[in-house]
Amino acid sequence: MLVLLFILFAGLAIGCAIAVVAQRNPLYCAISLIGVFISLACLYVMLAAPFIAAVQVIVYAGAIMVLVVFVIMLLNVEQEERRRSRLGFLVPVAVVLAAILIAEATFIIWFVDRSPVRTLSNVSDTGLTSSIGSALLTKYLLPFEITSILLLMAIVGAMTLARRIKEIPPGAAVVPGAQVLPLHMFDPTIALDDTRAVEAHGSDEVAEVLGVPDDHDPTKRD
Amino acid sequence: MVPQLSWYLALSAILFTIGVAGVVIKRNVIAMFMCIELMLNAVNLTFVAFSSFFHDVTGQLFVFIVMTVAAAEAAVGLGIIIAIFRNRESLDVDDASILKL
Amino acid sequence: MDWATILDIALKFVAITIAFTVVLLIVAYTVLAERRVLAFIQGRLGPNRVGYGGMLQPFADLLKFILKEDIVPDKSTRFIYFLAPVIATMAALMTMIVYPFGPETRIPLINVTLPLSIARFDVALLYVLGVTSVGVYGIMLAGWSSNNKYSLMGGLRSSAQMISYELALGLSLIGVVLLAGTLDLQKIVEMQSGWHGFKWFVFFQPLGFIIYIIAAIAETNRVPFDLPEAETELVAGFHTEYSAMKFALFFLAEYINMFTVSMLAATLFWGGWNVPFIDLVFARGSFMFGFLSILGFLFKVCVFLFAYIWIRGTLPRFRFDQLMNFGWKFLLPVALLNIFLTATILTFFDVI
Repeated sequence: MLVLLFILFAGLAIGCAIAVVAQRNPLYCAISLIGVFISLACLYVMLAAPFIAAVQVIVYAGAIMVLVVFVIMLLNVEQEERRRSRLGFLVPVAVVLAAILIAEATFIIWFVDRSPVRTLSNVSDTGLTSSIGSALLTKYLLPFEITSILLLMAIVGAMTLARRIKEIPPGAAVVPGAQVLPLHMFDPTIALDDTRAVEAHGSDEVAEVLGVPDDHDPTKRD
Repeated sequence: MVPQLSWYLALSAILFTIGVAGVVIKRNVIAMFMCIELMLNAVNLTFVAFSSFFHDVTGQLFVFIVMTVAAAEAAVGLGIIIAIFRNRESLDVDDASILKL
Repeated sequence: MDWATILDIALKFVAITIAFTVVLLIVAYTVLAERRVLAFIQGRLGPNRVGYGGMLQPFADLLKFILKEDIVPDKSTRFIYFLAPVIATMAALMTMIVYPFGPETRIPLINVTLPLSIARFDVALLYVLGVTSVGVYGIMLAGWSSNNKYSLMGGLRSSAQMISYELALGLSLIGVVLLAGTLDLQKIVEMQSGWHGFKWFVFFQPLGFIIYIIAAIAETNRVPFDLPEAETELVAGFHTEYSAMKFALFFLAEYINMFTVSMLAATLFWGGWNVPFIDLVFARGSFMFGFLSILGFLFKVCVFLFAYIWIRGTLPRFRFDQLMNFGWKFLLPVALLNIFLTATILTFFDVI
């Protein structure tokens, strides 16, 4: 019964992994990767690690891949075209290396099954939330604290990378929570390459700030 | 008949190989990033398998830390990808072969 | 495969079927209840023609959805277009298996003592959070695959809102976990028994409960947080291009999500299946006790659903930037403050 479940989830994981590599549309790659993560979570449950399985679904499938799919949708990434790569002579080398890796995997199976180390059964107390929690906060406290600093660094780094820098002239009135608009949109007589920008709530306020006449008629659709 | 430790290790090796092949083959930066995540998950599977068969919680703690690092790396990596896209208008790694933006 | 395992699996299938039927019926009548209650709030009557007082309206709606023409937009990605409502509905339904509907009861005919929930495992609360996170994909993929800029905007906004408020939701539940000391939902409900209802966690965690309710309303895309699917804003948001049965699946997924978060609120904060004074009358573990506990639990869930509909009829909706500001700059720090206060008070009283 457990063997059947293992074959099911392992087959699903390998199938979705091959789909990640073979698909050309990046959104299909992302969905296949989510399939890999969920089948790995099921394998973790079979290994009596329910906390890691739940955290895998929440963090990997539920947060990281949502971020990746967001980026794919926002950047509107197209399919990869098939292009004849300049390094085509490496394909036989790749096949040989893959065969070596499969030989290594077979060696692993053969050797670990015959090693004298006795492995215990899967069902145990490690893997429960309480044992992970107590180990994390007593014996492994230093990695835990360093990880929190690492996350802070990641937040600051991501915000710095994604920031758009616009020139706000010193005299402009900046209203929080509003849009940044180029001046040309509200006064066509200003040149297009004038990089001054204004933050305002509505077009009447923009007109007041700029000192231009407000001829935006709210009863007409834009 | 219960799944042995070697089965899990072999599955992990196969997933890792597929991830490496993906990083080498794919030209889209986001797809390469996803194959790197696949490699990280293969290693996670090895850790959890050892932790389960030897009743040591250290493996699962390592997986916890690896997941945190992967989340941080995802955030910063995708920020870099967005910055590259804004400057080059293309996500093809082969096109990003000059150092000057 | 001995007989005990087979009986176990068969009982689980029966339990899943019963729970599924009950949930779908309640959700179908929630749709009707929403239209009637909203109508009464707005000073009109609502659908009352089909059946007595409109009681057969859900079946009429179902018939309409089945018989409608199924439109597929021309340039949409077909696989994802069909996959999206399936993901949304599956993620909504999968959370149902961990809720305890009742205590251990002795069922009279089989003479077997059963805890009245489908599955019991150690990390049930994390499982619920994880499955809710996967439900975001249904909306994102629906918005993308419709090949329509309003759908894409609606889908991206809706999923951004959902992942922002998921954080506040998860953090508000940590206060409850600190109090209970376990992630297992059945143990949490059992810890709230006794004292005829004064041990319910809402009295110990009022701030956590308020944060949870606000985050839950935002998570299920309901008013006042429903800008991404409001009819006056983005046509219909991410489900613009969906018709007939696929739209019915999205509709169903939204109401089942509402039902799920109401069940979680009832379980974690309002004592689950504990009804205040019935253990003076019936013995614990008897059939009537179990039956009345199930009814009590469903009553609490229906009170929450009524509150949802009431809020929908009363409040205006947030603008999207106000919504995101509120979620990140106010609700998340207040949830962290709640955890800090709970942990401090618990350490001070040395209960942990």
